[in-house]
Amino acid sequence: MTFISFAFMVFLPCAVLINFIVPIKYRYIWLLIASMIFYSTAGIGAMVVLVLSMLSVYATGIYLGKKKKAKLVFVLCLLFNLGILFVFKYFNFFMQILGIATEGAYGNIQLNNMIIPLGLSFYILKSVGYLIDVYRGDIVPEKNYLKFALFVSFFPQILAGPIERAGNMLEQFDNPKPIDFDRFRNGFLQVLWGYFLKLVVADRLAIFVKAVFDAEDGIRGTISFVAILFYTFEIYADFAGYSHISIGIARILGIDVMNNFECPYLARSIAEFWRRWHVSLSSWFRDYLYIPLGGNRKGTIRKFINILIVFTVSGLWHGADFTFLVWGLLHGVYQVIGSIVTPVRDKITKTFNIGRASFSHRVVKTVGTFILVAYAWVFFRADDIMQAVRIIRYSFVFTPWKYVDGSMYQFGLTRGNFLLGVFGILLMIIVDLVNSRGIVIREKILCQGLWLRWIIMILGIVVTVVCGIWGPGYDVSDFIYKQF
Amino acid sequence: MKRKINIALKCIFFTITVGIILYATTIVLERKDSLYKYADFFELAKKDQIDVLFIGSSHVINAINPTVLYNEYGYTSYNMGGHGSLLQSTYWELREALQYTTPKWVVVDAYMLEKNYRYLDDRDANPDEDEVNTSVEQLHLNMDVWPFNDLKVEAVNDLIQDKSIRREFLFNFLVYHNRWEYISEDDFKSVFGDESKNELFGAEMRYDVETSFTFCKEPEKGEVLPEETVGERYLKAIIEECKKRKIGVLVTFDPFNPESKDIIAANSAGAIAKACKVPYLNMLNSDVIDIYSDLNDHGHLNAVGSTKTTKAIGKWLKSNSKLVDHRGDEAYAYWDEKSDNFYDSIRDDTTDEDNLISKLSLLSLGEYGFVLYCNEGSQVFTDKSMEHVISGIADSNMIKTTSGPYILIKDPKTGKTYEASGDGNLENVETAMGHMYYQPVEQNFRLFYEADDQDTNYLYDDAHASADIQIIIYDKETGEVVEHEYYTSKGGRYAR
Repeated sequence: MTFISFAFMVFLPCAVLINFIVPIKYRYIWLLIASMIFYSTAGIGAMVVLVLSMLSVYATGIYLGKKKKAKLVFVLCLLFNLGILFVFKYFNFFMQILGIATEGAYGNIQLNNMIIPLGLSFYILKSVGYLIDVYRGDIVPEKNYLKFALFVSFFPQILAGPIERAGNMLEQFDNPKPIDFDRFRNGFLQVLWGYFLKLVVADRLAIFVKAVFDAEDGIRGTISFVAILFYTFEIYADFAGYSHISIGIARILGIDVMNNFECPYLARSIAEFWRRWHVSLSSWFRDYLYIPLGGNRKGTIRKFINILIVFTVSGLWHGADFTFLVWGLLHGVYQVIGSIVTPVRDKITKTFNIGRASFSHRVVKTVGTFILVAYAWVFFRADDIMQAVRIIRYSFVFTPWKYVDGSMYQFGLTRGNFLLGVFGILLMIIVDLVNSRGIVIREKILCQGLWLRWIIMILGIVVTVVCGIWGPGYDVSDFIYKQF
Repeated sequence: MKRKINIALKCIFFTITVGIILYATTIVLERKDSLYKYADFFELAKKDQIDVLFIGSSHVINAINPTVLYNEYGYTSYNMGGHGSLLQSTYWELREALQYTTPKWVVVDAYMLEKNYRYLDDRDANPDEDEVNTSVEQLHLNMDVWPFNDLKVEAVNDLIQDKSIRREFLFNFLVYHNRWEYISEDDFKSVFGDESKNELFGAEMRYDVETSFTFCKEPEKGEVLPEETVGERYLKAIIEECKKRKIGVLVTFDPFNPESKDIIAANSAGAIAKACKVPYLNMLNSDVIDIYSDLNDHGHLNAVGSTKTTKAIGKWLKSNSKLVDHRGDEAYAYWDEKSDNFYDSIRDDTTDEDNLISKLSLLSLGEYGFVLYCNEGSQVFTDKSMEHVISGIADSNMIKTTSGPYILIKDPKTGKTYEASGDGNLENVETAMGHMYYQPVEQNFRLFYEADDQDTNYLYDDAHASADIQIIIYDKETGEVVEHEYYTSKGGRYAR
């Protein structure tokens, strides 16, 4: 069951309605039941893996709570859970590398027909984070297995995050918030915006992107450049859409979940981009990998190495493929180079008396960062490195007339659909610009009178249902991040 | 508590509002082809004004014109034919229609009787991808308009095997929600039941004339299909359904240019009709139409062929059924209006038509009187298709035996046809234009005038001296000239 299935459209109202009815102190039990029902649709195998992982982490947590220095148990549990992730996600990739490294002498074993359990990468990180927190003594282990299981398997988050911290979630199960109408409306609007981003924007742009990326000999010129831009917004609309739906549903169910995006394409540096993009994952890597590696406390060279390690791991976390590896490394390299040339940039700024706070300077930095991020996404989207390199090369071929000669409408999107996609992008940019000034549009809408509120909500529903990419004739794509 | 009730009421009202708006949206976005075809059906069925239902494939859509049947015989009918409809689709179409009306007769065309696969989307049984896609897509024309109920579910389950495709028929918003880019004024009109309707009670007319032919090898006389096909099973089911409801059934095979398999299927249809003891009208091997002038394409009739076929079936119904002639009945004024509209449209189409052969074909329907003149040396005399059409209209072979000049006058008012060729002339021939005289003089000059106005020479104009073909179209009652067209046959293109 996914958020864009009809089954979910039936499941969600039932889950919400019962959640309203159930007495507040037993709500976590219902939410766990609902989460199990939701996850059970992924198959019995996936369910078994989830339960095994949860049991191991729960038991280890309890043990660590009793015996503070049980490092061996902690490490074994960590290895067990990371081992699950490795077997399902990385084993074949590892064997492939082994095969290349040994020129075919080793690495012949492949686990074929193995399906990665849904949400594995996400809930393993959640569990590992919990385990480390307990080991460090940052939190007390959760004694109630049901609450712990709900923390790991909470259905709005299990497929693709946000990767919530135990400290935030478990506390809310112990002290549940009453669900008021304002919370419901706020969550509903956020869910609606999420569906709009996914169905109207992301999946529409995906049609164009797929047509260009999958073109047998590639498409030279502006069209490739537009495809790169479209993919940059597609993945944002897709993942932010998912996150909005997830956070909105959680809010409706009485749980506050951390934000996952903070206007990432308005970032003025790659480091800032990573503070804004997939915040729950970036902060996880920061807290549980970068800082334990020494962060920036052990000298500049070590800091650069740590950055490269973190981003390589981040790339591989997204997928067991060289394209993801390159994508992660590229972001690491961007940051290392950014740090190395900082004195030069400072000198130039000073020499030419460029106002760092000036609008034009901020725009240049934002656009520059955006372009770097956009071209890195090509590796994320491409089937292999060669395809990525070809798309990037072709995007520099100068064919500006393609903007106006109708060529743009020959890649799966009619004129109307193309323009609607562009409109969606503009709307996302406007919303982010407004958000970056601390204004939450949702809250502004909720302050309006009933009629205006309703008109906006109904319009949102109608536009999403009518203009959304769904139904036969379209290969409705699942959320991109769900595959990780 | 009061606040909770207030919130609950708000939620309910909001949900209802969203539901209503989404419902209206589904109506606006729905493809209107099906509604367009059947809008009149529901109205007329409510008034119990449909005596005959014509069912079958696109052959029926193009072959049977209810406005002509009404105009000629006063019988009311509805054309339920569906593009690409196999007999199983036709069966369910009939079942759906019978929910609303019980006609006195059902006329079922047995085209595609040889098809032997159960599900329209069975790509293993039918490797012709285009045919499968057409059948499935065109099933929307048959199905969209019928409301969701048990019968529709039964029909869709019987016709489609893929569950996801079944859903497309039961909840067609799945398919049509992305029509937002193409919606027009008419889409919004449908919300208030004011949409455009098919003006011909379900029929569609085509106006081209097929001029290239290939003829099939004749199968053995009386050869039938070797094994019972799915098509045959459903034809029997249609007959059974009608018999059960005491509705008269006429099995037909509408005329077109058949392949061998069609002739065999027609024979099999006859055998089934005989076995089921129902009448059968095989128009494939009769002279109902002229295959050289009455086809729009190899498989479908044009408006002239349709008129002839409709009249043939009307004639059969007159002889074999006890249907009532409703002409002149006040309650059936709508039928008169639609019938008149059709003949008005034929007149408009006749004058608007650019293509000479199509124009002549339309003129053969007799809605206008006309004069055709072809000068000596015109390519008409070497164009077999054109010769055939003119010969058919004149009901003579004169055009085939002359190299011109040639004149043909077809006068519906008097019912007379006049011809002359070579040096031949016409003297004092009676037409709605008056008493006409024709006299060829020389290559580029001839006389054609009315007895009381000898100064007006209709067939000569300096400005069009090079044109070798002229058509004068006149009102069949008053004789007033409504159009005078000049054509040049050079290159066989008949340019105006």
